[in-house]
Formats: sequence, C-alpha cells, structure tokens
Amino acid sequence: MMWLSSGFIFRRGTSRYHRLDPRVKLLISVLMFATTLLVRTLYELAAVLTFMIAVAAIATVLRRVARTMAFTGLFSAFIFILNFIFTRNVETSLLYAARFVAIVVSTSLFFITTSPDELEQVMKTFRLPRDVIFAFVTAVRFIPVMFLDTIQIMDAQKSRGLELEKGNLLRRARNMIPILIPLVVNSVVRSGELAEAMESRAYGSVPRPTSLVEYRASVTDRVVAVAAVVLFALVAYSFYFVLPARIL
Amino acid sequence: MIEFREVTFVHQNGVKALENVSLKIEPGETVAIVGENGAGKTTLVKHVTGLLKPALGTVLVDGEDTTRTSTAQLSRKVGVAFQNPDHQLFSESVEEEMAFGLRNFGFLPELVEQRVTWGLELFGLSEYRKSSPLVLSGGEKKRLTLACILAWDPRVVILDEPTVGQDSIQKEKLAGTIRMLSASGKTVVVVSHDIEFLWPIQPRVVVMKAGKVVGDGPASRLMQDRGLLDSARVAQPQLVEFYDRLGSRPAAPFADPLEARRWIEEGHRS
Repeated sequence: MMWLSSGFIFRRGTSRYHRLDPRVKLLISVLMFATTLLVRTLYELAAVLTFMIAVAAIATVLRRVARTMAFTGLFSAFIFILNFIFTRNVETSLLYAARFVAIVVSTSLFFITTSPDELEQVMKTFRLPRDVIFAFVTAVRFIPVMFLDTIQIMDAQKSRGLELEKGNLLRRARNMIPILIPLVVNSVVRSGELAEAMESRAYGSVPRPTSLVEYRASVTDRVVAVAAVVLFALVAYSFYFVLPARIL
Repeated sequence: MIEFREVTFVHQNGVKALENVSLKIEPGETVAIVGENGAGKTTLVKHVTGLLKPALGTVLVDGEDTTRTSTAQLSRKVGVAFQNPDHQLFSESVEEEMAFGLRNFGFLPELVEQRVTWGLELFGLSEYRKSSPLVLSGGEKKRLTLACILAWDPRVVILDEPTVGQDSIQKEKLAGTIRMLSASGKTVVVVSHDIEFLWPIQPRVVVMKAGKVVGDGPASRLMQDRGLLDSARVAQPQLVEFYDRLGSRPAAPFADPLEARRWIEEGHRS
C-alpha cells in the first residue's frame, strides 16, 4: 500500500518538465483534467491517457505514474461495478472507470513534479489568503511525514502481535484502530508544535512577507503554455465537431 | 539464537542500508548495537522481527527463517520497544494498552490481568492504571512501552534508543532492568547512541558503519579501541577516556563512576 501511495509524493527531478515554471505545469494539468471531462468515447480517453503517459515519460516519472495508476485500480474497479449495476452498459462503465484513472494521473503529474515551495508560489500568484496557502502547502509537505509515521506505527503494532493481513473485512477494519489513533494523535500534537514554532518565528507579523524566489516565466515556459492551450482547443474542437460521438 | 547470514538490505530509494552483515547472537547475551545515524542499526533489528526482509542472505531466529514467518509470530519470541512511544500508544487506559499485546497472543483473561499488574508494578506505573496513556510524561510513556513488551515474556528483548527523553534516575532504573533481564536469561539487544549508558552494563558491542559491522566484541575491549570508535563516529565513554589519561592505573577501565571514585579515594591520584 505504501509502495503504491508513494506515487503521489514529490521527489526532486532534473527533467525539462520539472524545470518548467510551476504555473505552466499547473496549466497543463488543469487542461489535461478538463480534457478527460470532455471525452465521450473510450478511444478519445485512450488518446488522452497516451498523451499523459508521454508527458510522464518526458518528466521521467513513468514508473511513479504507473504506481498512481495501480493505486487507482481498486477505486476504478469499484466505479466500474457500480456503473455496470445501474446502467448495464459495459462501455459507459469502462469509460467512467478509466476517466477516474485519467483524472488522478493528470493531478498527480502536477504534484509529483512540483515541490511544496513551488506550489506556494503558484498559490501566491492567485492572491489567495496567506493562511489558506500556508495550511494547504503544509498539508502537502506533511504527506510524506505521515506516510513515514504510518509505517512506523504499523511496525510497532505488528511487533505487538497485531495481524493486519488476516481476518474478514470487518476485523481488518477494526485492526486499523491501533494504527489510526496514534496517527491522528501524532498529527494533532505535531500541528500544535508547528503552530508554536511558526509563531515564535514571527509568522503573521507582517501582512505581505517577502519571498526568497520570485518566479518569472521564461520563453520556453511561455511557448509550452501557449502550445498546451492551442492543443487543448484543437482536441476539444475535434472531440465535438470532427470525431463521431460513438466509435465503439 | 539470532543469526544474520551475509544479509544485505536495500531501501526502496536504492540506498544500501545493510551490506553483507553476518552476526550471531547467542541466547542470554546482552548486545549493544552502536554507530552513527544512518549506520543501519534500526534496520538491522527490524530484520529480527521480520518487519524488513533481507534482499540477500538469511536471518534466522531460533532456526526459523524470518522470510517464512509473520512478524506477529516472531514477536511472540522477540519483543521490540521502539524509539518513539507515541507510535504505539492508542488505548483508553494504561492497563488496556498493556493488555493489547497479550490479547493478540491469545493469553487467558486471568493471565492477562496478572501480567498487567506485574508489569505496571515493575515499572512504577500502577497509579496510572486507569489513566489514558496519552497523558503520561515522555519517560512514563517509554517505560509503559517496555512494560507492554515484557508483559508477554519474550525470550529476546530489543530496545531501540531506550534512553531518549529519560532523566538520569530513569536511565539508572533502565540499566537495572536490562541487568535484571540478562540475569533472568533473556537475550537483550540495545540500539543506542548513549555510550555512557551502555558502558556500565558492559555488553557485547557491535559497531556499525555505513551498513556494515566494523567491530564486534566485549565493551571492555572495543571501547578502548579509539581508532575504531573514531572511524565509526562513536564517542568513547568518559570513564575509559579518564582511564587512558591516568599515569598509574588499574588493570582494566572503571566499569562505573563509583568504582572510579573508590579508586581515587584509596589514594590513587595522578
């Protein structure tokens, strides 16, 4: 489980995609996300997913995106089954299940290639309230810490004879209590300590603190952003006016 | 009883945490594993309970290969008290916390009651029996985690950094507990940076550096090997350093401060 979920966590990279302005990476992810909502057939969705895989290859995060896809597999299966029960249509059910995978991949491509610092800068450009930005970025920054905590808590409880892999669904759910309680308690304690540490370092003393890094879009960033918008417009146009609504 | 045969372990990020480690720990031995941060000490002991499986080599506990046994099964024999007690405390009361492991191992209710009372008394926690474990102080939490482990009477007890957050009196008590466990025939493995704490216990010392065992032997010999300790970035006990600087000195370094004081009071000043 931990191996799978690590597909969502940022790791430093040196690819051209990593080096793009974070606002451009956000734009690409938003456009990919929007495209997945526009698709009406499995073929169109397959094309969009192929494009996402190509982006992942450029960003040299193919393996991690594969993990993201594997992570969403269980939820997708659930979506497929529910849709099939209510619609009795394999194509529609598959479309919804695959669309979920595409949505998660499009968002994870942004998060696994964008550091929390860059994320903070992106949010600042949208002039969001400082406290909101801080809370969101801190939450993102603490995801790996919480994963690490979870592993250590699981280790500690397994060493006290807790069997996490045995028993029926109800028992397995009940066995998660010794994992979840220390995790929540630790997180609450940590957030209190963080608040104290931030206040003791003058957090909130000035309305607009200065930034160490000010992002300026380079020529490459601008070209990639324009290309992404044009490509999105072309794809949206072709989905609605060129390609037939049903191919299958 | 515990045997590492040419064990290599590589983390998911590709970092080699253990490299070709071979080590044998006999029943009843008290072993201290020392080394700087990232030397592989915790990784090594996590192999004993099967929390980590070797990429290469074999780890045997009582002749059983840890890759073929679940952590829960191995934990019946090997109790581990982890570094951070906040990673395991979750129950409504201290007694429930202690009973958790015992119930997992299928102890009868009367025996659970008996073992809980014994453990709480041993670690001076009886007055907190009905309190939430979350409101205990850092030192009390640490003692509670150790009591939880000892409650099911494992043959091997592993203590990961047991002195973190403990005051000097608690450290003394802890050292006493380790001696008591050793005297009762238990195998005790202590992972610690706290050389001053380990020295009076006089354990067998395993020195680790970059995932390898670079020294293994009695504390009395290894702690005098300045070259080895410096290379593994392990501090020398103050009593050994003091002993080294003496002009006329006894045959072996002082095992504890009392012994040194007695020696000075006998008129040996230099």
